[in-house]
Order: sequence, then C-alpha cells, then structure tokens
Amino acid sequence: MDHREKVSEVTPASKPSAVEAPPPISPSETLTVNLICGLSLALTFWISNSLYSIDLVTDPSLTLFLISIIELPIVILLFSRYRQNRLQCSYLRAVGRGILGVPVGALLNSLGAIALGAPVTFQCLPKTLAWSLMMSLFTTVPASCVLGSSWADWKRIFAHTKPNGSIEYLICLQAHGAVIGGWFGAWPMPLDWERPWQEWPISVSYGTLAGYLVASVASLGFVLAHRSRLQHVKNE
Amino acid sequence: MEERRRKNGRWRYIWPLWITLLLHLIAILLFTTGFLLTRTELPYHSHCSDVSTSPCFPSSSNNGSCWTKPSVNRIVIIVLDALRFDFVAPSTFFAEPKPWMDKLQVLKNMSSSRPSSARIFKAIADPPTTSLQRLKGLTTGGLPTFVDVGNSFGAPAIVEDNFINQLFQNGKKVVMMGDDTWTQLFPHHFERSYPYPSFNVKDLHTVDNGCIEHLFPSLYEEDWDVLIAHFLGVDHAGHIFGVDSTPMIEKLEQYNNHLERVIKVLESQAGPEGLHENTLLVVMGDHGQTLNGDHGGGSAEEVETGFFAMSFKEPLNSVPPEFDSYSCQTDLDGKSVCISSMQQLDFAVTMSALLGIPFPYGSIGRINPELYALGAGSRKFDTSQKLPESDVWMKNYANALCINTWQVKRYIDAYSASSAVGFSHDDLSRIASVYAAAENHWLHSTKKLLLDNDGDSDALMPALNWQIDAYFKFLTTVAELARSKWTEFDLNMMGSGIGIMLMSLIFQVFAILRASKQLGVNSSSSSGNSSIVTPSIFTLFLLGIRSCSLLSNSYILEEGKVANFLLSTSGIVALRQSVIKEKLLTESIGFLLLSTVCRFAIEVGLSKQAATSAFMKDYSSWIANIASNLPVWDYTAKFTPMLVLIMLAFWLYKATNCSFFDWPWKYAILGTILCYMLIIVHWITDRDGFGVALMPESIGKSYIPRIVYAISLGQLLLLAYGQLFKRNSLDCKTKLVTKTTAMLSAWSSTVILLSGKQGPIIAFASIVGGYFILRMDNIEEASKDRPGRSFSIMQWSLFATCVFFCSGHWCAFDGLRYGAAFIGFEEFMLVRQAILLAIDTFGFSIILPVFGLPFLVASKYHDNLGRHFIFTQLSQMYTTYGLITAVITTFTILCVTIQRRHLMVWGLFAPKFVFDVFELILTDVLICLASIYYFDQGNDDDLEMKSTDS
Repeated sequence: MDHREKVSEVTPASKPSAVEAPPPISPSETLTVNLICGLSLALTFWISNSLYSIDLVTDPSLTLFLISIIELPIVILLFSRYRQNRLQCSYLRAVGRGILGVPVGALLNSLGAIALGAPVTFQCLPKTLAWSLMMSLFTTVPASCVLGSSWADWKRIFAHTKPNGSIEYLICLQAHGAVIGGWFGAWPMPLDWERPWQEWPISVSYGTLAGYLVASVASLGFVLAHRSRLQHVKNE
Repeated sequence: MEERRRKNGRWRYIWPLWITLLLHLIAILLFTTGFLLTRTELPYHSHCSDVSTSPCFPSSSNNGSCWTKPSVNRIVIIVLDALRFDFVAPSTFFAEPKPWMDKLQVLKNMSSSRPSSARIFKAIADPPTTSLQRLKGLTTGGLPTFVDVGNSFGAPAIVEDNFINQLFQNGKKVVMMGDDTWTQLFPHHFERSYPYPSFNVKDLHTVDNGCIEHLFPSLYEEDWDVLIAHFLGVDHAGHIFGVDSTPMIEKLEQYNNHLERVIKVLESQAGPEGLHENTLLVVMGDHGQTLNGDHGGGSAEEVETGFFAMSFKEPLNSVPPEFDSYSCQTDLDGKSVCISSMQQLDFAVTMSALLGIPFPYGSIGRINPELYALGAGSRKFDTSQKLPESDVWMKNYANALCINTWQVKRYIDAYSASSAVGFSHDDLSRIASVYAAAENHWLHSTKKLLLDNDGDSDALMPALNWQIDAYFKFLTTVAELARSKWTEFDLNMMGSGIGIMLMSLIFQVFAILRASKQLGVNSSSSSGNSSIVTPSIFTLFLLGIRSCSLLSNSYILEEGKVANFLLSTSGIVALRQSVIKEKLLTESIGFLLLSTVCRFAIEVGLSKQAATSAFMKDYSSWIANIASNLPVWDYTAKFTPMLVLIMLAFWLYKATNCSFFDWPWKYAILGTILCYMLIIVHWITDRDGFGVALMPESIGKSYIPRIVYAISLGQLLLLAYGQLFKRNSLDCKTKLVTKTTAMLSAWSSTVILLSGKQGPIIAFASIVGGYFILRMDNIEEASKDRPGRSFSIMQWSLFATCVFFCSGHWCAFDGLRYGAAFIGFEEFMLVRQAILLAIDTFGFSIILPVFGLPFLVASKYHDNLGRHFIFTQLSQMYTTYGLITAVITTFTILCVTIQRRHLMVWGLFAPKFVFDVFELILTDVLICLASIYYFDQGNDDDLEMKSTDS
C-alpha cells in the first residue's frame, strides 16, 4: 500500500515539473486519431483483398504483414505528435523511439503467445512474426512514442492501469483491448468445427482487431468523461 | 466447556472435510448407478453337446452342425457402416422424398421382383450406436454397455461367446475385409483378413477400395463359409459432409454398382452344384446416422438401419402369414415393395440357426421368422413327408425356437447366479413363469404331436402356433427386461446425484465463509487497491472458464492445453502484479517459463495420444525427431534423470540437517534418500549391458521396487507412529513444515519409481513450480487481514492438472500406463496392480499436491500466529482445494448428462467422467487423511492459542 504511494511520489520528484502529462488532446482529435487508425486498417484489408486478392484466412502472414507495414508509419507519426516532454524530445526522436518499440513489442508479444500455447514449428514462424508485429503496433509502439523509456509511466499505465490524460487513456485502453481481444480470440481454436479461420493466428488476429476497435470506441467515451470531469474540477 | 473443546479440538477444524467426502460419495454413487450401465460378461461358451440337456430335438444330421438343421451353407455379409434405413427403403415409405433416397436401387428391385427370396428389413439397433459396440452387439446377440465388467485389461478383443467364435469353434472359415475394428475384436478368428484403418474420417475411399479389391476375387473362391466386407465410406461421408451432400450420394451410387455386381456374381454361380448354390447375401448397416452424420445415441435416425437379405435358391412359397410383420407400398416404378422389421439383437442367433451352429451363450435375441424363412427354400425334404412345405418349415421353426428359448433361459439363469448386480427377484420369477408355461406346453402336447409323424396337421398346426406364440412371449419379455437394465439411463438417479453434488458445493462454500469469519477477516478491507479485478474474482473467472470448457468435446480433448493456457494466463497476471509491487520478478518470470516448458511437454503427450486416438489430428512431434538423431541426446536422456534424482536426494539431505527435524521425521526422510539410491541402482541394472554383471537381473528387476514400496510403507507407518505418540515442543508452523516435508518425501519415492525415467524431472518441475507459487503468494503483503488465498490455490490446482498431462497421461483408458502397474511384479493381482496404477496416474497430480498444500499456509506467515489461526487457515485451504475439484467434477457430470446421447459419449465423455469422479473421490479421501495427519491435538499449544485469542 505505502509502496505504491511512494512510487507515485517518486515519479514527479525524479522528473521535474516539465515532464507533466503529455499535451491534452481534445475529443475531436482523439476521434480523428481513432478514425485514421481504423480507416487505415480498413484500407489495408481493401488493398490486400483487391490487389493481392488475399485475406486473413487465405494468407494470414502476408495480410498481417501488410497491416503492420501500412499501420506502422501511421501509428508512429500520429502518436509521436503527442509525445511527452516536448521540450527535451524532438518529433524525430519520438519517431525513433516508436521504431525501437516495434522489435521490443514483437518480442514480448510473441513470448507471451508462446507461453499461452502458440505453435512454434518452423512453418508457423512467419505467422507468429507477422502477428506479433501487428500486436506491437497496438501495444508498445504508441506507448513508446508517447512515453519514451520512462519505466514509471509504463508501469503506471500497463500495470496499475492508471492512465492520466486523454492520450494515455487512448494508449492504455487500446493496448488492453488488443491483448484481451486476442486472448479471447484464442478460444475457438480447439473446437472441432474444421473451419479454416480456426488456425493460428487467424482467430487470434480477429479477436485482437475486434478488441482494438472496441477499445478505440470506448476510449472516446473515456476521453469525453475525463474531459468533462476536468472541466468540472476547473469550474469549481 | 474448555474440557470439551480440548477433546474435540481436531474435529473442530476438519468435520466439514469429512461431511464433504460423505456427500460426494453419495452423489457419485447415485449418479453412477444411473449413468454407467454395467453388465457382467460371462466366460461361458455354447457347445454342440449342450443341446442334449434341452427338451428340444437336436439336429439329427452329422455334417458339422449340431443345434439346428443348417439351411444355408455360406453367408456373404456386407456391412455398410451407418446405413440409414431411408438409404435402402423406397422413398414412398416416407413423408417426402429426399435427394439421398432411392440410390440403392438394386436392393429395392430385388425385393420387389422376388419378394419371397429377397427382402428389405428395418433393423432396429440398440444404443450406444457406435461401431465398436454395435459389432459387439451384432456378434454376441447381447446388449453391450459402456462397462462390460470382465473386459480384458486394455485390449478390446471380445471375450464373450459370439457368432464369429462359434463359427471358428465349429470349423467354419471366415474371411474379413474392411474396417479394422473387426480384427481388433476378433484377433485370431479369421481365416484371412484384409483390415484397413478406420481412424481417418476424412478418407472416404481407402477402406472401400480395399474392400472391393478383395471382395470380388473372394466370391469365386471356395475357402470360406462366411465372408464379411465392412465398408466405411458412408459413415465417413456423413461425418465430414453430412447426409444431404454430393459425396454421400456419390458413395451410395457407387455402392449400388458394386452390389449389383455382387448379386450378379452370386447369381451366376447359384445353379445346382454351383459355388453359391446355397448362399445367403446380407447387406446391412451397423447403425444409422443423423442428418449431420452423428451417431452414438438412441434417436430414431440413429437406431434405424437398413437390412437386406437374399437367398439364391428356389424360394419357399410363403411364410405362414401370422408371423409376418411387413408393410407394403408401391415404389416409384409402381411395383410393390414389402418391408419387414427386425431387431439387430436377433441377428446373431438367426445367423447361427441358419448355419446350424450353436447359438452364442449370451445371446438374448430370437430367431427372426422372416429371415429364417429366407433360408428355408429348396431344402431336401423327406419324400415320405406328407405335410406341405410350410408345415414342415413350421415344425423346424418351432424346434429352433425351442432351442432358442432354452438357450436364453440358460443365460439368464447363469447371469443372475454369477453377477453381483443381476436381475431383481420379481423379474426373475416373472420370466420363470412365462418360461414354465411355454415349456409345459412343449413337453406335454407339442413334442408328442411332433414325434407322432403320422399325426394329422389339423391337430398339429394350432398346437404349433400356440407354442411359437408362447416362445415369442418369453423371448420378448426377456429382451424388454434386458433393455431396461442395460440400455436405459435412470434419469431419476442421475438427477438426485446431481442435486446432492450441488448441495455439497453449497456446503463447501459455506464452510469456506465460516472459516473466513473465524479468522476475523473483514472482507471489505481486503481489496485495498482500487483495481477492479481482485484476485478472488479472477480466480472465479478462471474456474468458470475451466469448468465451462468441459461442456464441449473439443476442449476435453485438449484439456491439457486449456489448463496450461489458464496457468500461463494466471502467470501473466501474477507477473503484472509483481511489476506493480516491484518484487519477486524473478519468481514470476520463472513461473511463466515453467508453464511454457509444461506446454511443450503437454504437446508431446498429446502427440502420444494422437497415435492411439482417432479423434486427434496428426501432430508432428519435432522434439522427438531431434531427440532420436543425436547420440548426445541419447546419453542426456539416460543420465539426466539420475542426476536430477541425486540432486533431489542431496537437497533432502540438506533439509534434514536443519535443527527442527526430530527423529521420526528425520528417519522418514533418510529412508527416502535410501529409496532414491535404490531407484538409481534399479535403472542401471534395468539397462542391458550396463550393470548386469553387478547383480542378477531378477534382483534389480523385481526386488528393488518391492524394497522401495516396503520402505515407503514403513515410512508412512513411522509417520503415523510419530503422529500418535511423539510429542515435540516445536511451534505449530515449524511442525507443519516438518510433517509436510516428511509426508511428501515418503510418497515421492514410490511415485518417482512408477513414473519411470521422467519421474525425477517431473518431481523437480513440481517442486520448482510449487516453490514459485508459494513465493508469488507473498506478492501481496502478508498480513492477518488477508482472506484465503484462493488465487494461489487455483494456481496450485491448475499446475497439478498440467503436471497430469505433462507426465504423459490423458483422460482415457488407453492413456493409462499399464506398464507401471507391473514394476516389481510379474503376475497380475487386481487390487495390488490397481493401486500401483492409481499411484502412477494420480501421483503427481493429486497425491503430492494435496499433501503439499500446507506449505502454502506455512510459507505465508513469518511470525507464529498460533495454532488456531494456522489450522483454521489450513482447513479453509483444503476446503477451497476440494471445492475447485468438486466444481470441475460437477461440470463433467452435468456435461455427460447433457451429452448422454452424443456421438462421443462412450468414446470421450464417459472416460472423462470416470477419471474425474475418481479424481474427486481420491482428492476427498486424501484431504481427509491429510486432515487427520496435519491437524494434531496439540495440547502443548493450548496455552499459546489462548494467548493469541485474547
């Protein structure tokens, strides 16, 4: 108990007042960010469908790879705009942090997936790789763009689930949504329906995407609620 | 007051555990009697000479037959697996025509063009309608149940008397082709056999093409009397595509062509002195299927199957109409087709009667008049007979029925005499009275009339009719009784079992709450952190998923993976928690790694299961591939277990050096170290060319395991002695640790020995996993206010389940490692081998976790909180652990109740049910034993207790 309090005291102390929250963003901006992310996802599906005539079921690794490739610049560029600590950290540096977050997130996510039972045979390797790349885009990349390497902030958002400010709400909810959605997406896999989408990582990817989209919508609500509370506090 | 309290001091903590055991026992007993229908297999066989003890006329001919006069010489049996009735019958018999009807045209044409020598039957099967049970039922003429007591240990071969066995005994030669289930059931009975694997449901053609390849050449050969061809295409097409599908219709059309050819070939040789002069062709299904292709249950679609029989000789004019049960309709071509109905139960005895061999001992069917009449044609009658053909047939039939009745009565008498759960007294006396009536009539009127050859038919016919009716009545009564006993679930019993089970769950929950109250926990203060998901809710969530997963057959098949998935999830949650608290990170990551390792071990185990199970997909076990190639791996595999075992022994030795190990406990642990050394010696001598010179093989092989068992037993006795007579002055917590360590070490040597080479490694993994769970339990601050650590107990239970699957077990009878039962013993003794098998199967997953649970209490509190507190905690934890097991078992029970007519109920759900019930009872019993052992009277602590209470 007291331990946690100590942590929250330590955080501002170690980083002086300049580090406060990232710049607050308005609900409309949040909506735009979410819309861009969601539309680019839809665009990827459209491209893969019309240009390569594939989808998640027929060629999961290539589709996931396409999603990652197209989403990667969008997510990094978008979220780097909301980086913490603007004074000491240039836009380019935030972009660089975001790129660094890709392999780290991919590694963490694939390790987690393997612990939970993802296949590790050689023919599954590209699929696992592509899936974990996509996962890193939803989880670690936005966070590393915004938060950088501040362990305390990472812990606050991902372990304590105590986001502070609208952009953190966005990061926290989307990451949790993607992970929890993926976790639930694994459930239909053992069923004997003999459907092609039950293969690793198709259903998990669907779960991830669904969780991500639901969380994006929910984060809008949270941002609105957070804002109105802030306003309430200000008015008082 | 104080005096009384002191006296039942122990019972104060443990009475809920015993009541739970009692409730569970009652519930399981009730449910099992309703669900697991059992039947005893009798080892008796029918013999030719037996018939002389019957009141009937034995067959006078001496040409290899003995009970009845043979009326056909050869039989061709073509089994089309899962042949629905509407595949065979014309579509006009049904409300509306469907695409899959009228595809087997040749059968319909034959029965309409030659109504007296070819006939379609609607054969009613008895559930369970799975191929294996049906083949068993068809050949034995009985009603196979899930538990046919007396089954040979593991092998599926039929030991009961049966049609195939009678053929074999009486010198008839049988040729078989198709489904390899036949060769499993009858390993030595076939003259020739061409089995094809039936596992691969997706393969529609291999078995059928193999059948066709061997069927037609065989039809021209003379070296058989009965030919069996079992086609699987329709069954597989149903499973994969369903009944209303193109592959199914293609299959049926293919069969139509083949059957046409078969009939043509048989007909071409049916002339006088021809190869098939006196041959009967039977085309039959073993069971039906639903529109989705499922079967196993008792719905009309599944039990109604097509049956076609045809003889190739001059037919008998007609069966006396009073025994015909057919209904006729005009088919699409405007011809009349007649369809009779029969029971599959009657198949074995009718075929036996047609061939003139003794009826299977355990058959309870009756000779079907219409099927029997098909074989009756051009029999060489006595020219002296003045009676018309049909009357002669009647006389023969009456005599055959007489033998039939006598044989069924003999079986019923023998069954009730030898089986523990036979028929009730009322039923038996009812059967006896019906039998007596029929038999009196036979002895006093019919027999005399039959003996009197010159008797006129006016007196004979009514008597025969009456006689046949009486026999029918008897046989129908017996069949009804047998059905009610062997094929119908007793839903009332099952319901009350479930009810008591639910009551016990409620009781356990109350016991846990009561313990919490005694601990004085203020539940509202328990979740100080604002996190929405508290550990207890998460535990409930995990338990809920784990239980609900048991409702689906797919998850039961992959239960190991499901448990591991949940274990890893709990590990990830614990990791998150430890990141929050910034401590015990190593332990959390280690636990996650361990569960990942478990996961690979479970996959290897599942690949073993796939080799023997039809349900699993092929799993390429790449680990095994790597391991088999390099000699380094070979040596590693040889020596790692021993090194690990030495390490464990060393670790135990260090543990005993601690000051608080008193003499009984200390010697118990030293005994274990000795056992470990003996096990290593056993393994070395076991391997050829390694240490054989050191001592004779027999000593290593059988004496060392026996010595280990004896030492373990001695250790347990020593511990019991220590428990009864030894008073030591240690404080409660230290004593608990000592006792737990001693108990675990006493069991471990036997468990490791039985598990074989993997034993030490699994033991090591269990210790490491247990240690991590203990440590992670401390992530939350240790304080007196915290409620029971349900999360850790859930992890403990999940880990135990994972270890069960890691060690290469799974919930099916072919998952038992029968080899383990014979370590140290050569000859079979039921009780001894069953105990060893149980220890092997559940050693790591139940025995050690249950006895190790007190560590969870002891590790938690660094300061001594007093006897009362620790014991209340311990009893609460045991109740929680019992509750988790009980909830899982309850869901299994619910699942088998819901799925009792499911395709896989006998293949998958019922074995799972048996395993879970056994686990539940074993867990309960062990918890009760552990409670006696760990909760001591502890007068010494009374003072201390009072001081802490106040």
